[in-house]
Amino acid sequence: MMSTSQVIYAGWMEIPTSAVNEDARRRAEDAAISALVDQYAAALYRVAYSVLRNPSDAEDAVQEAFLRVLRHRESLAEVRDHRVWLIRIVWNIVLDRKRRTKTRPETDDVAELARVLPSKGLSQEEIAAAAEHHARVLGCVERLPAKEREVLLLSAFEELTSVEIATVLSITESSVRSRLFRARNLMAELLDHERSLR
Amino acid sequence: MNSNPHNPMTSNSDSGANFGEDTLRLIASLPAPEGIEERVHKALRSAPPRKGQVVAWPAEIGSRVLPQSIHSNWMRAAAAAAIVFVVVGGGWGVYSRVEQGQSGKVVVMPARVPGSSGFAGAGAIRTPQTLPGPTIREQATPAGSEGASHRSEQGTPAAKKPSAPKKLTSSSSQPTATQVAPPSAVSK
Repeated sequence: MMSTSQVIYAGWMEIPTSAVNEDARRRAEDAAISALVDQYAAALYRVAYSVLRNPSDAEDAVQEAFLRVLRHRESLAEVRDHRVWLIRIVWNIVLDRKRRTKTRPETDDVAELARVLPSKGLSQEEIAAAAEHHARVLGCVERLPAKEREVLLLSAFEELTSVEIATVLSITESSVRSRLFRARNLMAELLDHERSLR
Repeated sequence: MNSNPHNPMTSNSDSGANFGEDTLRLIASLPAPEGIEERVHKALRSAPPRKGQVVAWPAEIGSRVLPQSIHSNWMRAAAAAAIVFVVVGGGWGVYSRVEQGQSGKVVVMPARVPGSSGFAGAGAIRTPQTLPGPTIREQATPAGSEGASHRSEQGTPAAKKPSAPKKLTSSSSQPTATQVAPPSAVSK
């Protein structure tokens, strides 16, 4: 099934280039970008948030991703899978931001996690315990090597297949699987070590 | 939460609790804040225009003065030609003002002193005093003894002896080639 943006582009690409007026072309590009925003802004936000774990930084990253799309709108027609392409753009942006700032994510704070994560039907004590557990897990994720951490974070998104993760990270699918295997083993070791310390 | 069979985490893990994947899934499934699409649309609308486009003529000038086709094509060509003319003219102006007679810096080689041999002074202002090298001094022979010696060369064994070596003023005591040659070699 074709997405909204793909439908718009399919119709736009059928028009011969010579006959397309510059204004009409630009209007079509704007409409396609607008459709991309409506369709994928939320998904891109979640990808950005999973790395930055700061709501305002994640939203800034989404805006920057779409600004880059706007700057390279001529190449939009050549893109086959807009979703993976956009995730790749926002992924590079958030990694770059994280590298530059090198600050701890905001939600490593247990209180902040308890506020952000869903807590329906839980008592205050349960919420606090869950937040503490999640903070511990996220702390272990931060201690993973970068390659393993990236695969682990992306694989948490239900909608991404291993092929798509491989495309986002520019690696092979077998590398995705081997890195994920290593990441899981390391995570199990780190969590066991955390438990033994308590 | 729907599960994607092609997702590596879903297909390979049984529970996921041991690796903290429940936490990651929870983070990954957090809803986006309200109105994020509108804010992105707003940011895109307020984005600066694209760079690197051909500068368009002001619409009023174009529509009043010239028809659309001329104003867009012919005038652009004329403007481009004018720019080329100015650039080439400026370049020619600079080139024509450069004095052609000026020569570059040339280092003049010192003239060689005629009659001198060996190493030249290479134009040096001062040259150190050098010791005189070894000179060969010709042995002075008396004028009357020349005929006697010519006669003695005829058949006498003594005449076949090599002549006395030339005496060098230097202190070298090495014999010359004529000194060491055996008499038999000379007689041949």
